[in-house]
Amino acid sequence: MSNQNATIAVPAPRALLSHATRETLSNYAYLLPAAICLGGTVLFPILKAIHMSLYYNVLIKPQEYRFIGLGNYVRMVQDPTFWLTLRNSFTWVFWSVSLQFFFGFLVALILNGQFKGRAIYRTINLLPWIIPGVVVALIWEYIYQPNYGPLNDLLRRAGLMREPVAWLSNLNLVMPAVVFTNIWRGIPFFTIMILAGLQAIPDEIYEAATVDGAGVIQRFWSVTLPMLRPIIVVATATRIIWTFNYADLIFVMTSGGPANATQITSTYTLMQAYSDLDWGYAATLSVILLVIMLVFTALYLKLTKGVESVAG
Amino acid sequence: MKTRGLGDPLERFLGGPVLWGGLVLGTLFAMGPFLWVFLASVKTRVELYATPITYIPVQPTFQNYVDAWTSRLTPFSRFFANSLWVSSVTMVATIVISTLAGYALARFRFVGKNTLMLVFLATQMFPAVLLIAPLLSQWHALGLIDTYQALIYSNFSFTVPFTVWMLVGYFESIPRELEESAMIGRFGALLRIIVPLAAPGIAATAIFAFVSSWSELLFATTFTTRTDMRTLSAGLLYMVGQYEIQWGQLGAGVMISTIPVAILFIFLQKHLIRGLTAGALKG
Repeated sequence: MSNQNATIAVPAPRALLSHATRETLSNYAYLLPAAICLGGTVLFPILKAIHMSLYYNVLIKPQEYRFIGLGNYVRMVQDPTFWLTLRNSFTWVFWSVSLQFFFGFLVALILNGQFKGRAIYRTINLLPWIIPGVVVALIWEYIYQPNYGPLNDLLRRAGLMREPVAWLSNLNLVMPAVVFTNIWRGIPFFTIMILAGLQAIPDEIYEAATVDGAGVIQRFWSVTLPMLRPIIVVATATRIIWTFNYADLIFVMTSGGPANATQITSTYTLMQAYSDLDWGYAATLSVILLVIMLVFTALYLKLTKGVESVAG
Repeated sequence: MKTRGLGDPLERFLGGPVLWGGLVLGTLFAMGPFLWVFLASVKTRVELYATPITYIPVQPTFQNYVDAWTSRLTPFSRFFANSLWVSSVTMVATIVISTLAGYALARFRFVGKNTLMLVFLATQMFPAVLLIAPLLSQWHALGLIDTYQALIYSNFSFTVPFTVWMLVGYFESIPRELEESAMIGRFGALLRIIVPLAAPGIAATAIFAFVSSWSELLFATTFTTRTDMRTLSAGLLYMVGQYEIQWGQLGAGVMISTIPVAILFIFLQKHLIRGLTAGALKG
């Protein structure tokens, strides 16, 4: 300790590492637990998946396990079911997200009104979103059940149906049926997001628009929608990616059947792993899912950057 | 009064009958399916399979709950305990890990910070399907199949990135001056200033971690083989796959899986919603 200058700032003895180095090390120490978690549960498994995708690896044929290079990828490109699942994924995502958005927006506009018991209504309307996916799937499997399910019964009582319909085994009805379930589940997500956006719009803007003679419809188009644009973009993009990857509902309700009518790429990947026990091909499909997801995310980031500059 | 009471007849129509009609329809649509399953869960076996089907149970009974809870083939008491344990440990560990990382990302300067934020954002969107095969072989190699650790570690793959991202936003909204004036070390500042001030945000991320672990299905079915290690989600799926569907017991199982998260949500929705939308509102 050098005490010749009697100030408060006492020069510390020189440490083995400079102050800057020590600070950097301690910065990374805070991140270490998170880094270990993600390294062990995300990054390493992804590398492992890429590695697995290069092997012929069918669990029931261990003697045939071997390196096949891009063999699984070639098989995928030539696999008509794979292309079918991509088309199904598109249908699944498009109808799920666009209708979740539409109804979520409507519910948000309603819940944004001033009325008694708003908190209770809000909670009830948001509940479908919070419950486990397998629970949603089972509830709706029961509703669609041809003999004891309430849907057929209600339609029959309303005089809209004569013969019971097997919603989940009819090739033409099964996709709409699972999409409808997903809509029920996903409406609250958009409601939450858009409601938050609506409540962030300052009242003065509406008042100014009203003074300028704008009616309720005009105010919606010229104030509400433009002000909500950033949140709409973020919510929709997140939802598209999430729905594309989401396998639980279809996996439980139909396992992608009948005849692959509801087989989307993510459930196809699961079925390859669980039913066909073809882990090499499953890994290949999951790598492709990852690539598609990364492209989406890159697009999304580009979009939101644009939005951020608009939102200020 | 944002859009009502301003004299326009169209507006009064929208704010009156349309609003109430929409409210009733929306609520019926959201609640109807729950109500149906709840009613089914208190019906007797005979009534469940009667034609024409009944809506209000003639002889309401909680026998299905007792059966599901004590069943030896699908012991929901055990599933419930497993879910509670896995979700709670995931929640607590996630919060500790993410608070440290979130604080570092919100406050410190270092190389690669933006890249790290991007990594956290991107990993939120990784498909769980992608991780199943490699994680299974990993847990197998480490002898962790049929352990709670395998489920808890796997859950980190989706809880940690999201909570870090959320917490960074919360921490950044706290003025730096508070820490600078306190003259305590960085860790002290984190514990004594940041954590108390960001408590609502931390609560929101905690609920998120709990609820998403509670709902998790694919990891729980893949990394467990023994019935007594299954969580509620995995147990429900197992119940469907194993036997002819017993809608009464299954309905009871569905209600058992739903009620805890529904209660959590009802009491803490304000925090949760604010936490979830804060990031999106910022853009």
